[in-house]
Formats: sequence, structure tokens, C-alpha cells
Amino acid sequence: MKLVGIAGSIADQSYNRTLLKFIAKRFEGLVDIEVLDINDVPVFNQDDDQTNCAAIQNLCKKIEGADGVIIATPEHNHTVPAALKNVIEWLSYEVHPFDAKPVMIVGASYHTQGSSRAQLHLRQILEAPGVNAIVLPGNEFLLGDVKNAFDENGDLKDQRTVDFLQSTLQNFIRFAKVINMIGQTTDYEEEDLSAKNGTDTTVQGVDMNADDWLDQAAKKVNAVEGDSYVKLDSGLLTVDQLNYFLKTIPIELTYVDENNQFIYYNDFLPTEKMLAKRTPAQVGDALDKVHPQISSVLKHVKQVINTLRTGKTDLVSMPVPGNDEKTHVVHYYKAMHDEAGNYKGVNEWAVDIKPIVDEYLRETGQKLVNDPNARVDAITGASENPEVDTTTGASDTLQKIAKPEVKIDTTSSASKH
Amino acid sequence: MNKFVAIVGSNSNKSTNRELLQYMQKHFQNQAEIELVEIKGLPIFKKSADRFVPQEAKDIATKIEAADGVIIATPEYDHSITAALTSALAWLSYGIHPFVDKPVMITGASYGSLGSSRAQSQLRQILDSPELKARIMPSSEFLLGHSLQAFDEDENLKDPNEVKQLDGLFKDFVQFVNISKQLNNANVVNKHKAEQFSWDKD
Repeated sequence: MKLVGIAGSIADQSYNRTLLKFIAKRFEGLVDIEVLDINDVPVFNQDDDQTNCAAIQNLCKKIEGADGVIIATPEHNHTVPAALKNVIEWLSYEVHPFDAKPVMIVGASYHTQGSSRAQLHLRQILEAPGVNAIVLPGNEFLLGDVKNAFDENGDLKDQRTVDFLQSTLQNFIRFAKVINMIGQTTDYEEEDLSAKNGTDTTVQGVDMNADDWLDQAAKKVNAVEGDSYVKLDSGLLTVDQLNYFLKTIPIELTYVDENNQFIYYNDFLPTEKMLAKRTPAQVGDALDKVHPQISSVLKHVKQVINTLRTGKTDLVSMPVPGNDEKTHVVHYYKAMHDEAGNYKGVNEWAVDIKPIVDEYLRETGQKLVNDPNARVDAITGASENPEVDTTTGASDTLQKIAKPEVKIDTTSSASKH
Repeated sequence: MNKFVAIVGSNSNKSTNRELLQYMQKHFQNQAEIELVEIKGLPIFKKSADRFVPQEAKDIATKIEAADGVIIATPEYDHSITAALTSALAWLSYGIHPFVDKPVMITGASYGSLGSSRAQSQLRQILDSPELKARIMPSSEFLLGHSLQAFDEDENLKDPNEVKQLDGLFKDFVQFVNISKQLNNANVVNKHKAEQFSWDKD
């Protein structure tokens, strides 16, 4: 299970940060906790929406990708620090990463109260509709007299406190698993495969599903071609050189942008020889146009894309059914992001990995043997129990979503995909 | 005539809480002199080794010190007061203590029907903390719901029942301020305690 920790303080020296770091270190065998920083977050103001700034986008992405959040709050004037409230305001305005997210509250203070009042305020805040977090009930962890609580290594000195902390954390892990089971139902339904909303790079005024979309769209944006130079982040190539380069990569590459529009493939094989069949006329099509109109297929496409878009994982891979001892075709779907971490679409590649395995065996003088202890492989698991995936924790979901997806590729590669 | 400082609890350019305070300023001009104070532009509160407080916060503190009472109009963001107001109150209790024993009237407006009720109850708790230690007028909620529709084109409150309630509360607040002036025997000690109080102390 993967959690993120937020210390509610921006002070240079914060015992709440020390507490989170201790939790992350002491219980690393139990759970993976990444402690996030809220220092560079601007002041929330409705007149100046800075949701897209790197600090907020990063927090948003990390929280969305986590199975739960631990917030460690100090207490200022009987409430949470302005800095913490400020972050929550940003994360409940245009983006809502806390929505249905399991949250555990802990807190430390200098005196006896251990942030008791701030924790109650924080519960009310996290309950607000725009935040909509799901806070672990009970299990209050109030660390008073914090100046004397840690030793020089940043470890809690009192064993009973450590034991209590461990039991609340274990309760939270169980709680988070259950909550995530309930939460993961319909997120993917919001994926718009018809790509009608567009994004900042969508070429306007051209029918994306037209067979000659490429020519029309290229004309519309005055796209360069031929011997025009394109400056890349670590190279300078002409458009021709880019094409030579991409078409000799021995893997079928496909670019689907964040608006679910299929905008490129490295067309180096005749359609009938491709592992994932594409035609030049399909370029520019919305994803619902290149997949068969079968609700289970479209649902699985949405699931995979949504898993990547929301950062639950960066890579989905699935072997195609029908593989035998001669071929083992795998489709990979990798999320792409810009420098600020915004989702920019899917890099899909299809490759037969059997020749690679064969070459390895030949080079090293080995051969394949059956593993009597091997578990049932992904393909068989898939068709048997596709419903299971709705009830698993976030970190488990991927593989299980991936399995039913296998069926898509059978269907789609057989037809139009 | 009493002088009141009225704090706009929002940093937004368009704020019905500001409208409410502007209305009170005009409507009660014969009963008190009300000066609006903005919190926009204050940085998020941060402790520092030299206990630095921004000049804008010091200026607000001076105004509060000189005033007979304070009116706060708070929006409600996520069931609580705005981070901007939380931050302002943190600055106004960091080595300076203008709120100690200062009579405070809490009001608030919201777009929905609840009128910032949860934010107001949190604000009461906050103002009651040892370093703010304000004298909040008890049992005096004024919750202005549906605030976008609450004012006419002359920026007056439309609903006569709301006006009646606000008139009564304001009259009470003036009385409360006048009585408070006689309840200052412990003020010197209270100020001293607030100054000496430190969450950081061993």
C-alpha cells in the first residue's frame, strides 16, 4: 500500500514533519509512505486561479495516486495552520484529489493538548463537500509535549506511544483498503472516448474522424514537413529524419493524446502484417471510432486510460490471447506527462517479445522449461473473473483491470484497431 | 461615537461579505464609525526565528488597538474560515496581541442557505484561543444565506426580517462594547499573559 504524508506546517523546524518521517521510517515494512512538501504553495485566491502551478499539480497527482493520506497537523490558535488550510482550499477548488480518499489525522504539539482542537477542525474541513475525504473515525493520535518526545535520531522514545501509533496505522491500512474498494467504481465512466472536449493541442475546425484528417489538420496548423528542422530537447532533426528514425524502431508505436484522440503511429508495416492493426485513414480518429462499438470493450478501454490518467499507475501491459510457443505479443500502455506532471496521453507500443527471449536463450546457451510452481498466467485469470477488479485496493487494481482488457485487444485487433 | 474596525474575511475581489460590511458601514453610520480592513496581500503565516510580522499586519493591529470593537464577516470555505483569514489572525497574535479583551461581533455571508454557520462556530473557537483572547459577543449569530440575491441595486439588504435582526444585533453589540469598557480590571494581566504565552515554551 502506498500512502502520502502531509505535514501541516511550513515552519523551518516542524515536529509534525519529524513525526511523519518517523512513521515512514519505523513502519516501512508495513506501508510505503512518501512525505510531501507544502512550502511553495501560493496563497489561495478565487481571483487568481493557480491550480496549474507545479506545486499544486504535484500535490494533486501524488494524492490521487496514493491509496491514502496521513495529515500531521500542528495547532495554531485552536485551529489548523493557515498553510494547511490553504493547501486544502486549492485541492477543493478546480481539482479534487481528496475525493473519496481515506485520510488519517495525527498531530503533535508542545503542550498537553497534542493538537486536539485542530484535529477536530480538520475533520470538519475534510468532510466538506468540495474536499470529500473519508477520515478514519476514532483512532485519535495526539502527541503532547513533543519537544521531549523524540531522541536525537528522530525516533519516538516511548515504546507505548510507538505501539499505539502502530495499532492506529494498522487500523488505517485496513480502513483504506475497504474505502478504496467502495470508491473504485465509476471513475473511468468519465473518460470521453469521443474526444469531443478537445485540449490545447487539438486542431480545431477539422473533422477528426475524416479519412484525410492528417492532411487537413496539417494544413490548418501550417505543419512543417520534409527537410524542415525540428528542435527536440536533446537533438535537432528534420521531419524526414524523424520519420526515418521512428519507422526503424522495431516496435509498433501509437500516440493517443490526453483528449483520447489517436494522432500518430509509426507506419512501417502493411496493415495486415501489424500486431495491432492500424490504417493511415484512422489517424486523427477519436478512440471510440477505432474500437468496436461493444460496451464491454469500450468500458475496458476507459478503465485503462483512466488508470493512467489518474496516476494509479504509469504502465499497463497485457499479453494478447492466442500467443503460442512461436509468438508472445504484448501491448504496453504508458502514461505520458509534461514537465509539470500533467497527463499528456498514452504511448502505446505492441511488440512480440518471443524473438527477444529466443535470442537471449541462444546467446546464453539456455532453454526454457516449465515451472511446476508457476501460478495461472494472466490470460486465463482474465476471462474467468473480470468482476473482481472492482473490489480490489488501488495498488492491486492495475493487474486486474489489465486482464479483462486482454479481451479488447483480441476483439479490436481482429477488426479495426 | 464608537469606532469599529470591520475585517473582510475574504481576499476575493468579489465578496458578499465585503458587501455586507459596506452595507453595515452605511446603514449604521449614525451609531458607529466603521472602517473596513482588507486582509488581501498578507502572506501565509510562517514562524521565523526573529518573529517577523509583515508591516500590513502591524498596521491592522494598530487599527484594532485603537478601535472600540471589531466586526468580522467570514465566508465559509470547506466548513471553515478562509486560509487567508486564518493566516491574518495568526499574524495578529504573533508577538502582537490587539485582540485581547477586544469586543468582537461575528457575521458572515454565503451563496447557499447556511450563511457560513460552520465557519462562524470555528471562528468563535479560534478567537477564544490564548493568544487572541477576544471578547466575542455571545449568542449573536448573524448568518446571511443566499448572499448573491440578498442586496438590491443600491446595495441595501432586501429582506426586512434580515435588516430587523441585524439592527437588533448591532444595537446589542454597541451595548456590549460599552459594558465591556467597564470590564477591564483584568485587561493588563490578560495582555501580559497573552504576551507571555507561548506554544513554543518548554
